[in-house]
Amino acid sequence: MLKVKNLHASVEGKEILRGINLEVKAGEVHAIMGPNGSGKSTLASVLAGNEKFTVTAGEVEFEGKSLLDYSIEDRARMGLFLGFQYPVEIPGVTMANFMKIAVNEQRKFRGEEPLSAAEYLKLMREKAKVVELDTKLTSRAVNEGFSGGEKKKNEIFQMAMLDPKLAILDETDSGLDIDALRIVATGVTKLHTSENATVVITHYQRLLDYIVPDYVHVLYKGRIIYTGDKSLALKLEKEGYDWLINDYKE
Amino acid sequence: MELHDMISGFEPVAERLTLSGKEQRTAVAVDPETLDVELASGAEGHLVVVHEKPTASTLRVHLAEGASLVLNELFVAEAFTTVEVDQEAESRLKLTAVELGSANARYTIQLRGAHAESEVNGLFLTGGEEHAELTIRTNHLVADCSSRSIARGVAGGKSVGRFEGMVYVAKDAQRTDAEQQNRNLLLSDQARIETMPQLEIYADDVKCSHGATVGQMDQEAIYYMRQRGIDEQQARRLQIAGFVEELVMHCDEESWCSAVSELLEAKLHTI
Repeated sequence: MLKVKNLHASVEGKEILRGINLEVKAGEVHAIMGPNGSGKSTLASVLAGNEKFTVTAGEVEFEGKSLLDYSIEDRARMGLFLGFQYPVEIPGVTMANFMKIAVNEQRKFRGEEPLSAAEYLKLMREKAKVVELDTKLTSRAVNEGFSGGEKKKNEIFQMAMLDPKLAILDETDSGLDIDALRIVATGVTKLHTSENATVVITHYQRLLDYIVPDYVHVLYKGRIIYTGDKSLALKLEKEGYDWLINDYKE
Repeated sequence: MELHDMISGFEPVAERLTLSGKEQRTAVAVDPETLDVELASGAEGHLVVVHEKPTASTLRVHLAEGASLVLNELFVAEAFTTVEVDQEAESRLKLTAVELGSANARYTIQLRGAHAESEVNGLFLTGGEEHAELTIRTNHLVADCSSRSIARGVAGGKSVGRFEGMVYVAKDAQRTDAEQQNRNLLLSDQARIETMPQLEIYADDVKCSHGATVGQMDQEAIYYMRQRGIDEQQARRLQIAGFVEELVMHCDEESWCSAVSELLEAKLHTI
């Protein structure tokens, strides 16, 4: 589904990604961990097409297409979803309207008819249940006045609405209390099928109790320096990154 | 709903609109040269004024004690208008002005009786080489009145938008509660916004606030919307629409809302 080969990217002349190699297949869950500033969020942003970053080398194949050739919106319509670490507030634009436009843009891209108002409402109610999102929130402006937990639930609600092939969740667990974490993580698990894939970026093992990864990668200084299975996350939680980083230096 | 469907849904008036006490009516005036509006004590009115021609227009409104008026004014042509509202005790005014392009609208609200309340919401939206002006002056002449003047402007292309606000509080107008706020969105580096929010206060026991901001499009919000599959142009329009609709969509008349919303959407495609 996703093949990242020797990806280099920089921001304002500073190289952040220094040769990322990563392959994600349908049905898999990957976790990306690593110390602050190692490039985790940058990787997510570059895959999504954030124009703040410049790709200086490498290639990315997504569903057989060269991802880097496409605009941000086309990547999204092709089935790439980014769960934002800091979801953005959009005053005056209601959640319901925002998602309706997004869903229908995606349908148009696939050559499908737009949803009728009734179909859309039904879909929205059904998907709100995935993360126990209060449907009243859908009549409010996007993320405006939402609590930290509501914002993150709202990201997963949007993921449910858009049904992406690949979801990259950038620190979706940050700032969540135990209950919200359970709801958000369980929501992600419910959405996982053998047809799609999930990449979770996280600092904490606790998220991975719910979203069990097939692979855990450690990103350090812009490269994946180690890949293990779910037990790696436990080890990192106990021992930190030092043992890996020290190895890496040698 | 289209503009003309909205207009045809109301009772047409010209030159004079008089509402006696306890009467409730909705009326529309199209390009009035002069219009005198008189609401007797206790009357409730709703007046829509539409400017489709580039003419000069004068509106004089008198709200007797306890009268209440919703006034919606829409500019689709470059009209020059002066609106003066006299408010007696416990009267209420809710005014919304929408300038969809070049226009010049001046509002003067006189709060003459205790516990009179006024709320003025104004908006201009300009593109190309358009020039819009909006002036809201509220005079608190007696004690215990409240006023809110909220203006928003959006300027794209090489257009110019100008807001002038003045809240005047007379010496005896104690316990005045006045708020004045102006927020603007600049869409291009060649567009210009001028804003002059002013207070002139001679009483010493008042609550008055004023503020003005000029900002630009939120690129993070555009990125967020694009990541959900919405193209850049539409994301920009959504953001501008969100900025302006917050102000004009708190309205009491469904057909006005829907007509204005349609005109706004069409305008957004041009700036």
